[in-house]
Amino acid sequence: MALGIFTASSPLTLGVELELQLVNTHDYDLTSSASDLLRLLTKNRKSWDVKPEITMSMIEMATGVCESYSDVLSQLEEIRDGIVGCADQLNIGICGGGTHGFQHWGEREIFATPRFDQISDLYGYLAKQFTVFGQHVHVGCPDPGSALYTLHCLSRFIPHFIALSAASPFVQGHDTGFQSARLNSIFAFPLSGRAPFVETWEDFGQYFNAMVATGIVKSMKDFYWDIRPKPEFGTIEVRVMDTPLTVTRAAQLAAFIQTLVRYLTLERPFQPRDADYLVYAFNRFQACRFGYEGTYIDPQSNERRTLSEEVLATLDKIELHAIALHADDACASLRRDVLASCSDAAVLRKEWDETGSLSEVVQRQCLRWRS
Amino acid sequence: MNHSFLTTGPFEFGLLMRIAMALLCASLTGECLRHFVRLPRVSGYALAGLVLGPLGLGWLNSEDLPYFRVLIDLALALLLFELGIHVHLRWLRDNPWVIASSLIESTLTFGAVFATLYLTGSDARLASSIAAIAIGTSPAVIMRVVAEIHAQGQVTQKLFVLCALNMTYSVIVSKLIIGELHGVFKGDWLIAVIHPLYLLLGSVGVGASLALAFKLLRGLFDLSDEQGVPVLFGLLLLTVSALEILALPVVLAPLLGGMLVKYLDPRPHLWPRNFGTAGAILGTMLFVLTGVSLTWNGVAVGGLSALTLLAVRLVAKSAGVMLLGPVNGLSVKQALALGLALSPMSAVAFLLTEDIRTLFPVFGMQVGSIVLSMMVILELVGPIAVQWSLRYIGETRKVRI
Repeated sequence: MALGIFTASSPLTLGVELELQLVNTHDYDLTSSASDLLRLLTKNRKSWDVKPEITMSMIEMATGVCESYSDVLSQLEEIRDGIVGCADQLNIGICGGGTHGFQHWGEREIFATPRFDQISDLYGYLAKQFTVFGQHVHVGCPDPGSALYTLHCLSRFIPHFIALSAASPFVQGHDTGFQSARLNSIFAFPLSGRAPFVETWEDFGQYFNAMVATGIVKSMKDFYWDIRPKPEFGTIEVRVMDTPLTVTRAAQLAAFIQTLVRYLTLERPFQPRDADYLVYAFNRFQACRFGYEGTYIDPQSNERRTLSEEVLATLDKIELHAIALHADDACASLRRDVLASCSDAAVLRKEWDETGSLSEVVQRQCLRWRS
Repeated sequence: MNHSFLTTGPFEFGLLMRIAMALLCASLTGECLRHFVRLPRVSGYALAGLVLGPLGLGWLNSEDLPYFRVLIDLALALLLFELGIHVHLRWLRDNPWVIASSLIESTLTFGAVFATLYLTGSDARLASSIAAIAIGTSPAVIMRVVAEIHAQGQVTQKLFVLCALNMTYSVIVSKLIIGELHGVFKGDWLIAVIHPLYLLLGSVGVGASLALAFKLLRGLFDLSDEQGVPVLFGLLLLTVSALEILALPVVLAPLLGGMLVKYLDPRPHLWPRNFGTAGAILGTMLFVLTGVSLTWNGVAVGGLSALTLLAVRLVAKSAGVMLLGPVNGLSVKQALALGLALSPMSAVAFLLTEDIRTLFPVFGMQVGSIVLSMMVILELVGPIAVQWSLRYIGETRKVRI
């Protein structure tokens, strides 16, 4: 399959996808009810974009093309309310969070579509381990060149996105010590990681065709990169975030990314280099493991600082762009959380301390998701 | 020499020996069914009960039942309390179609069974007594089979709720009919009105006390681990004895108690499923014992009607569920499976029959011959129907056995 042309889209438009957990309301373990929920949503003739995901305990909700933070937030709230209403009728709980705290991967069922079956055959248990829940943010780009430029510039902010969204401290019933343990499941895939450093669409096409020729990939969907271009939408897609515990947080993260992209494309503060990626894996690991407390190495100056200092400095730099995009409330809220060392992972850990039961933690996740 | 430490015959099967044999035979039969033909263990327990009972070897018979009554009551109280926790009143409020579906299913069952009996020559009192018992689905079978095959999903969840609801109707209607029988047989119409009312309000009262006591204990103990099981056993045994002192039915109060617990506190309430190992022993005995009350005489009198009624009941339940399946969010396949899975009858039907028999021995025998025959068939086939249905719609987890 050829790469295809890059459809132009209006710059700085947003699209947000959230993968959600379906749990039962008895012990709050994951429940295989995706097809029941989707059937009810279809029957109620709701036009929201809600799709099945790889296992029967996940669904994905997506906004349409949005202009601004408030636009994203109102769309997310509307879709969330619709899904929660249907879930209530089926007595299913819906929640955010990057992992389910105590599910056992062996009990997951693959949603039967040709693509998911093929993935399951290829990756075996990895596909079931893939029962993790992420937020994807699409940002519109006017042309493929600016898409690749933005992609490589944004790469140094991946740790920021991870720390701000981290919501997966628990895996298979244990505290992993990570703020975002979800990404560890994704790194297990051979085609995860970062996009190759190419700056033009022709070069990217050559790389893609070479990969197709090796037989390793068939389409762009086979790359599980942290940021990847989506030529048919004319966007780049940031994929490292955990699904936050609330849609408000999800909208704030989208607004932060939109603001950053405006800053990068208008000010062009630096030129991306392949050498920037030397610190990439280190920074990303630090963010997953320690969140705001992690060490961040600046890819250009090699200076070290904590990630919280780095995020605050970034928020300072982009403030005017946030105001221009009406994203300043969202960024201010993120700043407050960084200053208070408050992340969704910290919230989940605190609830575990209070209740001593991961079932109750998930129950509270469901309550939080509705608010 | 006087060997007084040796027992002096004659040797006989004491009660303890018979319990031991019952437990061993039941477990063995259950494991064999599970292991070799992958059928539910509970079918094996019931089979063992039949073989050991008057229909087979005669090691156990209905005269032993009074000794075991407390075991049956406790086993049921535990299972019903757990079932109650699964029934979310908030859900029923959000989706009233579940209740509508349950009412239709139960009304159809009552109507169909009543009509079949009445048209084949039974009098209205006998027909209505049997029809009332036939409304109920066995919570014991459902709970055990679901736990055994690790089923979960929409059908399993609706199965729990419909079972809890139709069992409740079954007990209430049955008690109302008993009230009416008081009027007919003993001419005491005051009792006919007050007694059912007392049974209902009393059950609600005891259920509420149970829920409050549970809430209190949950603050003191961690009920979710093995150590919580003795606490819950104590609590439920206390409830059973209170119900006995107050002469209330053993099944309603624990169910209502469980439902109230979940309603008042929507947090997860967890303990080892079916109360762990101790719960498994009680459950096994429950299924064995309900098999021992059947005699050949009963089968001869009631067997044929029982078969007809089973078919009628199955059709009525399935039709009832299918009717509102779509508005309930069920696919046709799911509704079909749910209807089939609602077929088991077991211990609750047995207790209701016993209650009638205690109050009105002759009339009770007539009811018993038909109900017990139905029950025995369903104790063997019902669990298989539940397992098959849940597997058919893919709600079982693939667990190695």
